[in-house]
Amino acid sequence: MLIKVSSAAHSGLESLGIDVEINVANRGLPGFDIVGLPAQSVDESKERVRTAISNSHVEFPQKKITVNLAPADVPKEGSFYDLPIAVGILGSVLHFEIPKKSLFFGELSFDGSLRHTKGTLLLALFAKEAGFEKLYVPAESANEAAIVQGIKVYPIENLEEMIAILLGKLHLEPVAYSEGVPSFTGAAAAEFDMAEILGQEMAKRAMEIAAAGGHNILLTGSPGAGKTMLARALPGVLPLLSEEESLEVSKVYSIAGYIPPGGSLIRVRPFRSPHHTISQIGLCGGGTKPQPGEITLAHRGVLFLDEFNEFPRTVLEALRQPVEDGRITISRSRGRVTYPSRFMLVASANPCPCGFLNHPKKACECTVREIHKYHKRVSGPILDRIDLHVDTPDVDVQELAQDASAKRFLESSLVIQQRVARARKLQQERFREETIHTNTEMKNAHIKKYCVLSPEAEGILLRAAQGFQLSARSYYKVIKIARTIADLEGVDHMRPEHIAEALQYRPKVYGSA
Amino acid sequence: MGICLGSYRMTEAEVITKEDAQYPKLLKEMRDAPKKLYYKGAWNPQLFKHCFAVVGTRRMTSYGKRVTEQLVGEIAAAGVTIVSGFMYGIDATSHKAALRVGGRTIAVMPCGIDVIHPEYQKDLYNEIVDNGGLILSEYEGTFLPTLWSYPKRNRIVAGLCQATMVVEAGENSGSLITANFAKKFGRRVFAVPGPLTSSVSVGIMQLIKEGAAVVTSAKDVLDYYCQNLKFFPSLSLASKAGSPTTKKILNSGSNSELEQKSRSAPFTGSSIDSSISSSNSLEQKILEQLRAEPKEIDELARLFEMSAAQIGSALSLLELSGAVTKEGGKYYIA
Repeated sequence: MLIKVSSAAHSGLESLGIDVEINVANRGLPGFDIVGLPAQSVDESKERVRTAISNSHVEFPQKKITVNLAPADVPKEGSFYDLPIAVGILGSVLHFEIPKKSLFFGELSFDGSLRHTKGTLLLALFAKEAGFEKLYVPAESANEAAIVQGIKVYPIENLEEMIAILLGKLHLEPVAYSEGVPSFTGAAAAEFDMAEILGQEMAKRAMEIAAAGGHNILLTGSPGAGKTMLARALPGVLPLLSEEESLEVSKVYSIAGYIPPGGSLIRVRPFRSPHHTISQIGLCGGGTKPQPGEITLAHRGVLFLDEFNEFPRTVLEALRQPVEDGRITISRSRGRVTYPSRFMLVASANPCPCGFLNHPKKACECTVREIHKYHKRVSGPILDRIDLHVDTPDVDVQELAQDASAKRFLESSLVIQQRVARARKLQQERFREETIHTNTEMKNAHIKKYCVLSPEAEGILLRAAQGFQLSARSYYKVIKIARTIADLEGVDHMRPEHIAEALQYRPKVYGSA
Repeated sequence: MGICLGSYRMTEAEVITKEDAQYPKLLKEMRDAPKKLYYKGAWNPQLFKHCFAVVGTRRMTSYGKRVTEQLVGEIAAAGVTIVSGFMYGIDATSHKAALRVGGRTIAVMPCGIDVIHPEYQKDLYNEIVDNGGLILSEYEGTFLPTLWSYPKRNRIVAGLCQATMVVEAGENSGSLITANFAKKFGRRVFAVPGPLTSSVSVGIMQLIKEGAAVVTSAKDVLDYYCQNLKFFPSLSLASKAGSPTTKKILNSGSNSELEQKSRSAPFTGSSIDSSISSSNSLEQKILEQLRAEPKEIDELARLFEMSAAQIGSALSLLELSGAVTKEGGKYYIA
C-alpha cells in the first residue's frame, strides 16, 4: 500500500516541497527503512515513530515499511519528518484518507506528543507560496506558523489527537495568531539607560546617530571609560522592527531554533555580542550543513564586537563582504546557502595594548611599534566600512557625579529612541522606492539623489577633503552621516553644520610617532 | 658592499677618519672621539657649523610632540642643524619637524651604519638623506644596537652640538645621559619644562634644578646661538620653505599671522567664513577656553551646557580654518 504525505525541507532560508512516500508491503520481512539521503536525525526518526505509534494505542504494523523522501537527491535533515511518516504509516493501518493540500510537520516524542519544532515559520511561508491550505504542526509551534495569514494552521498536541482528526472524529479550529509575551532569547533588553552614563556626551551623540542611520561605529578608549556600557545601552535607543524587518528576523530565528515554544514575531532588534574567541564559522555561519552565524543572528540588529582588536584577523576579514552586501553566501560541498546579514556593527577597542594611551592620569607603557602593531591587527578595509569613529575619553565618575552640568544633559533612552524612530521614519519614506532601508546602505547613486548639499555645505566638505585628507570613501561617509544628522533634526535640507558635525566622526590615525 | 635588507634602498656607506680635515671640529674636542665615522648622505662641512641636539623620551606625550614640533620647527627654519638619535618619540619627532620646515638634520645611530633602527622608520631615514641631512654611526656594517651602544651614541649626539635641548625625560631617561655628556663637554643644556604631574617631567625638573637653561620659546635657543656662536639666522631658508605645513609651523607664533593665514588659505566652493561668523560668539568662547587649557569636546559641552553636536560642529569648522588642532582626543590652539 502506497501513501503520499506532503512536507518540506529547508535549505538556509529557502524551502523545498518534499513528498514523503510510505510503502507498507505485505510481502517481505518486517522492517523499517528510510531512503532519500536522510541525515542521522531523519534516520533516527524510525525509532521515534515506532514508539510513538505504539504508545498511541495503535499496533505498529509488522510489515516491510519503506519511506522515500522525494526528491531523493536533496539531503534531508531535521526531526520534523516524524509526523508525516507517522501519518503515512497510520493511514495504512487505520485506512483513512490523507487530506489534500495539507502539510504535516513536527517532531514526535516517545509518548506520542508533538514537540516544538524549529523552522515552523519558514514552513508556513512555503505552504502559502506553494498553494497548500492546511498545516498540521505541533501545538507549541502553531502560533509561529499562524504569523502567515491565509492558511489554516492546526495545532496538534499528540498523535492520538492527530488520529482522531484524520478519522473525522475530532474537529479542530485553526489557530489565530496572537502576539505572545515577548519571550525572545536573542535580544537582551538594554542593560543600561543612556541616562545612567555620566559624561561621554560626544560618544552618546554618536550612538544616537549610529542608531538612527544604522551606521557602523567604532568606540576607542581606555579600559573603564564606558565603551561597553554605551554599547549595552544601545538596544534601548534602537527603534522597533518594522513589519517587514520583523518577519525577516523571525525567519532567521525560526530556522536557528531560537523562537521559544508559543513564540510570536520578533519585535525587538537582536543584539549579539560574541566573545573574541569566536571562530570564523561561529561568526559568519557554516558547518557541513551551513548554519547561520552571529552576523545572521544579528540581522536588522546589532553585532557588538567588544575588544575589536583581539578578534583573530581572519575572523574580522571575513566580515568585509557581509558588512558591504548585507548577506552572506556559505558554500560547502553539501550545498550553498545564502543568509541575510544586514546588521549594525558596534566595535570597541583600546587605543593601545596597555590601554592607557592619552590617558590623563596613567602613563602608557607601550612602544610606538607595539601601538602600530596593535592597530594593524584590524585591516584598513574593515575600518573603511565603519562610518563613525569615536573616542571615549576617560572620565572621573566621582567628579562628574558632583558636576551639575554633567547631569543637566542626561537624556533617557526613551527620549533618544523617539528621535531615532522619527529619523528612521524619514528614511523609510525616502527609500520607499528603493531596496534599502537606512542611510548607511546608500550607494553613491543614492547619495547623489538624496543628499543635495547647499553650496556652502559642499564648500566645507571639499575643504575638509583637502585639509583632513579624506579618502573618496570617507568623503561619502561624511555625507551619509550628515544625512542622518539632518534626519535626526527632522529636516530634509542638509545644512553646513550637519557636515561640520559629521566630520567629527572621521577615522583617526594612530601610532604615528 | 651593502647587505640586502629587504626592499630598502641601500646606498653605500662612506667613512671619515679623525685625521680628516673635514672631521667635525666640535666632535674632535672629545677625548674619546670616534676614530672613524661612517655616514650616509652627502658630507657637507657646513652642516656641522651650528648644531643643536634635541633629545627626549620615547614615551612622548601629545604635549611633548607639540612643543617639539613648534620649537624645533622654528630653530631648524633659522638654519641650525638638528641632531638627534632617530629613536621613536621625541627623537623622531624632532627629525621630522626639522624636515618639515625644510631644515637639515643629522641622525646618529646606535647600530651599524647599514641597519635602520627602528626599521619601520625607513621613510624618515630616506627623507633625512634625501634632504641634505646625514645618517651617522661609529659602527660599521650590520652591527645591531645593544644596551651599551646607546650611551655611546649619546656622547656623539652631545659632542656634535654647541647645545643640547631635552624635551620630556623620565627619571632614568637616556636623554639625561646625553645632557650629562653635554655638560661634561662644557656645552649649554636647555630643558623644556612640562607639567609637574607628568612622569616624563621628572628628569626635566632634575635638569632645571641642576642649572639647565629653561626654554620658553625658540627665541631662547636662537638668541644663545646668535650672541655666543656667531650665528646669523638664515632668512632665506625660512622664506624658501614655502609648503603649507611650513607656514603652519612658522605662523603658529602669533594670532594675527594665524588670522591672515586662514584668510589667505585657498577656498573651494563658497566661503565658510560666513558660517563661522554666524556662530561667532561660540567659536570665540571655545577659543578662549582652549587658550587656557586644551580640552575634550565633552568638557566643553559641559562647560557651555550645550550639546556635543553643537560643540563638535563648531570645532570641526575651527579645525578646518586651522585655528585649533586635535591631538590625543583633546583640542589645542594651533
